[in-house]
Amino acid sequence: MTALAAHESGRDVFSHDLLLHDSDLALVQGTRAFVQEGLGSGGSVLVHSTESQVAMLHRALGSHPRLTYGLDQDLYQSPIATLFHYQRVLEDSSGSTALWATGTVPLGEQRAAQDAWARYESLVNEALGPYAFHGLCTYDTRVLPAHVIAAAKATHPHMDTGGERRPSPDYQHPAGFLATPLAGAPRPPSAAPTLVMNLLGVRDLVQGRHHLRRVMESSAVPSPVVGDLLTATNEVLTNGLRHGAPPVRLEVWVQPAKVTCRVTDRGSGIGDPLSGYRYAEPPGPMGLRAARHLCGEILISNPPGGGCSVVLTAP
Amino acid sequence: MIRASRPDWHGHLLLIHHTEQERRAGVATWVRCGLELGEKVLYIEPAAQPAARSLLNVLAEQQVVLDGATARGQLQILRADHDLYTTDGLVDQIDDALAQGYRGVRLSAEAPTARELLSGRAHQDLEWATDLLCRTRPVSILCQYSADLARKALPEVSAMHGDGVRETLLQTARLPGGIIVRGEVDVSNHDVLHWALQAATLGAADSFVVDLSQLEFLDVSGARALLEATKSYRHSGGRVRLRKPQHLVHRVLELCRVDEAGGLMVDQS
Repeated sequence: MTALAAHESGRDVFSHDLLLHDSDLALVQGTRAFVQEGLGSGGSVLVHSTESQVAMLHRALGSHPRLTYGLDQDLYQSPIATLFHYQRVLEDSSGSTALWATGTVPLGEQRAAQDAWARYESLVNEALGPYAFHGLCTYDTRVLPAHVIAAAKATHPHMDTGGERRPSPDYQHPAGFLATPLAGAPRPPSAAPTLVMNLLGVRDLVQGRHHLRRVMESSAVPSPVVGDLLTATNEVLTNGLRHGAPPVRLEVWVQPAKVTCRVTDRGSGIGDPLSGYRYAEPPGPMGLRAARHLCGEILISNPPGGGCSVVLTAP
Repeated sequence: MIRASRPDWHGHLLLIHHTEQERRAGVATWVRCGLELGEKVLYIEPAAQPAARSLLNVLAEQQVVLDGATARGQLQILRADHDLYTTDGLVDQIDDALAQGYRGVRLSAEAPTARELLSGRAHQDLEWATDLLCRTRPVSILCQYSADLARKALPEVSAMHGDGVRETLLQTARLPGGIIVRGEVDVSNHDVLHWALQAATLGAADSFVVDLSQLEFLDVSGARALLEATKSYRHSGGRVRLRKPQHLVHRVLELCRVDEAGGLMVDQS
């Protein structure tokens, strides 16, 4: 296939498509078309999945100097790390070669992990949107639960059906998707928080850190994870104190295997709940971005009554 | 002559205090340190010092054991006047103390005490002259600045006090070929770190060590300070080595890609 043909397929610089399949044959056919289009347009192509599925696709698709096969266990360890890794690769290549990636994200058995990967799929559109990136995400309708398929339809702007691309009618913008029940965004426990503290100025940050460190000692969360949450929470508190309206409230829920922090202020809020996902050149405005790197994921919401609420969790 | 690495509370130090309580605690530690070392402690107070703010009151409140230091002249309060607040005036006091057999002399005052007698420019000149005294005689000087006053002229004030800063969360000290940074850096004090580093790299040779082994917390603004404060030094060929960051600090350095900046390396050994 030629670059002209790629253009004829109607792709923009960025595309993120969904392929729902109910047979291995359909998976191979859909993947082959995508890989050929990528190679034909001069791009680098990555096929990733589980070991057995990669082996099957390798047999079917063969080899090419610009075609690589990767395993999810190496490439897709956690949603946000994977997202920022792709972003970094694309940023560093500065658009010289388009990256075409196809495969299935490692959804796992647990609902929480499946939801986290659904949010990843949605955030791909925000974080990788500015780059020459094309994704074809393959979902096997024979084995995947209905909520996973519904989320996939809501997180991919296009669907590939019978070799044709068409806009997904269920697609939602990431900011909208994250607020839906389908996204399963982490929420603080309903119990009373372990710690509540109001910070009035940046000189209160040290007290906030010390109290947070102290209450987290009673959890079994490993200390590097606790350290990352401490640094991330400090950045969010800093953001609230500098750009929000004090007092900035810190609430912490310590559970045996999980720590949740919520930071709220009465300011006009962080206008964009997706702040910190777009690439920023260090040492630029890094605070929220660093928090997202450190904490895996943080959820920003601007409640209707005003103010801003940010939820961070570890692990 | 540049002295080798010295312990805390020595040399020409900048005490930045946000509250009166912080000022008192800092002064008390500094006096205690001098008395223990057998140094002469000179403390300059304005003629109209309110009793509550006077050094003797502060030391009593902070439970510093004087053990007759005032009676035997080891601790001496000097009244600020135009004769004292000159380079010659201070040198006379210092040389007198050394002639009395003290192994060292330390001197402290609040910055506004000098500001009442001297123009801003004259005060600056005197600070530079005393900085030289700290390098050429066994002298330590602690200059007490409120955070508000220090922030009005942080670049100059940091440059004049090359031996280190004592701030609520952050302490720095000179090392051979570098600086050691202790405590915590966040958005409340990242500018203090920035200007201390900028000042320290100004006259540095072609390599400079920032010892981070005792830094317990660094936020993104602090990482940015490490980068930006050393930028002109690095751009003119200097190499900066960030030594032994703790795990938490190292994570932030990695995130901000500090280790990828030209002329800068993170050394974990």
